[in-house]
Amino acid sequence: MIEWLQSYENVIALVFVNSILGIGVYLMLSVNRFSLATGGLVGMGAYVSTLATLHTGLPFAAAVALGTLAAALVALLLGTPVLRLEGDYFALGTLAFTEVFRVIAFNWDSVTGGALGLDAIPVRTTLPQLAGVLAALVIAVLALRGGRLGRIMEATRLDDMPAQSLGIDVARVRLAVFVFSGAVCGLGGALAAHMNSFIGPNDFGLQRSLDAVAYAVLGGLGHVAGAIAGATVFTVLPEVLRFSAQAREILMALILLLAIVFLPRGMLSVGGLAAPRGRGRAARPATAEASR
Amino acid sequence: MNVFLQQTINGVALGATYAVFAVGFTLLFGVLNVLNLAQGSILMVGAFAGLELTLALHWPLLPSFLAAMAIAGGIALLSELLVFGPLARRGANRWMGLVASLALSRLLIAIVQEVFGTQVRRFPPAPWTGHVWQFGAVRVQSLQVVVIVAAVVLMAVLAYVLRRTRVGLAIRTMAFRPSVAQLVGVPVARLRLLTYFLTGALAGAAGVQLGVLYDAVSPFMGENILLKGLSALILGGLGHVPGAAIGGLVLGLTEVYSVAYLQSSLRDAVAFGAIFLVLVCRPSGLFGTATRQRA
Repeated sequence: MIEWLQSYENVIALVFVNSILGIGVYLMLSVNRFSLATGGLVGMGAYVSTLATLHTGLPFAAAVALGTLAAALVALLLGTPVLRLEGDYFALGTLAFTEVFRVIAFNWDSVTGGALGLDAIPVRTTLPQLAGVLAALVIAVLALRGGRLGRIMEATRLDDMPAQSLGIDVARVRLAVFVFSGAVCGLGGALAAHMNSFIGPNDFGLQRSLDAVAYAVLGGLGHVAGAIAGATVFTVLPEVLRFSAQAREILMALILLLAIVFLPRGMLSVGGLAAPRGRGRAARPATAEASR
Repeated sequence: MNVFLQQTINGVALGATYAVFAVGFTLLFGVLNVLNLAQGSILMVGAFAGLELTLALHWPLLPSFLAAMAIAGGIALLSELLVFGPLARRGANRWMGLVASLALSRLLIAIVQEVFGTQVRRFPPAPWTGHVWQFGAVRVQSLQVVVIVAAVVLMAVLAYVLRRTRVGLAIRTMAFRPSVAQLVGVPVARLRLLTYFLTGALAGAAGVQLGVLYDAVSPFMGENILLKGLSALILGGLGHVPGAAIGGLVLGLTEVYSVAYLQSSLRDAVAFGAIFLVLVCRPSGLFGTATRQRA
């Protein structure tokens, strides 16, 4: 059992990291915003924590905390203008942020190492740490969703207007959630950077953002378990398909596509876990209806 | 001044291909309210189709261009038949559709990679594409002229179809509101297929254009162009067809100028910075109207 676990340590660690990123996206989805900022925010956490480790000799925990804070701060600065955008415009605005981040990371050679990235990062992240962080995060999100704030988020997600009429400041709620989501992404990035010993600008582009969205959506909207299930399937599937080196990518994409078409409410809908919340107009951007 | 003129010509040729791609992209968004992230990969498939027909079957460029459009359009049509249509009927939410388009994009790239390998491939030189006209210090390649003319013809045909034909009227009704279209007897399901075909065909055309212009076709060309398409889409305002054409042109020119006058590696930063500003200051795009006129 232990040996088996060890031989798959990398995959499991990746599942944990991706689950954390999936939760970052899930948080934004739960206030009805489709964020493509994940790549940039993850990159922020990764670069800041790595630079702290490489140049200042801060302890690992402090470097990770710094990366997390930096990403949260960026989310705060970014969120203030961008959260005014609705639906697809918000997605595209956050996409522009991610791409600007990537291009800056690509060109700021003296700090980010440019296209070559930063390597020889000491490997500090361990599997138990990742598991602990993920568990703490899940508990925090469940507590948040279960409490008064969770109901405020739910009202914000469903419809802006009634939420506002209940005295909810939807703009502030979204900004707060975006900052939290930014911190989560930054945390994931910082942990990932100290796991692989290398980071480069292309780890943090559009692809990263889109993959993270896929984790959150694929498993099933409306439940934090969906993000974890999605991240797990998305990460483990390529490993499982290793037996067919040739058609691996084709099989992977095909399975994803079939899963989406036949389980359009997410993979968890098989077990009925995510079904009640993900139904109907749930999680549909308000603009889709407003503009019709 | 000569540099400026030269870059303007290069920029217009590049922008013309972006415009063709962006118009297809925005048409899908405007008419069906779908953001299809597989559009870049469909372009790539179109480029490969054109390449294969000219290389293996020795077709002249024009027939292979048209065939590539048909093939790319067919793939877009299939994607609606097999993926997006069923998803919509099962009441999946819009984000699931987005993820589906992502998976589809992966699938197309994987298949092309499997069949053709990852190497960058080139179009064979044709006698009429290599000609160069020299105006003073400014060089105009016949290839650039061909690309620009093709783009203009495609736009004109599309504008004619959308504005002057019954089908176009039906498509515009659907863009206005699908339920209204249904009510007045528009065959919505069939028109959805047609719209997908049109957008795919435009992507395929842009693929061949880019392929001949840059003399490079690779399975991964779609990713980059997807970003360009999104940018042009934002610049023009989502779902605004003439806006997307102008957005594509502006994008092409901006890129070429910023390479000529700024550090070339900053090209994308300038483009995305500008897009970010446009989004924040004028969310409906440079040409969008408040009421969001579609298609």
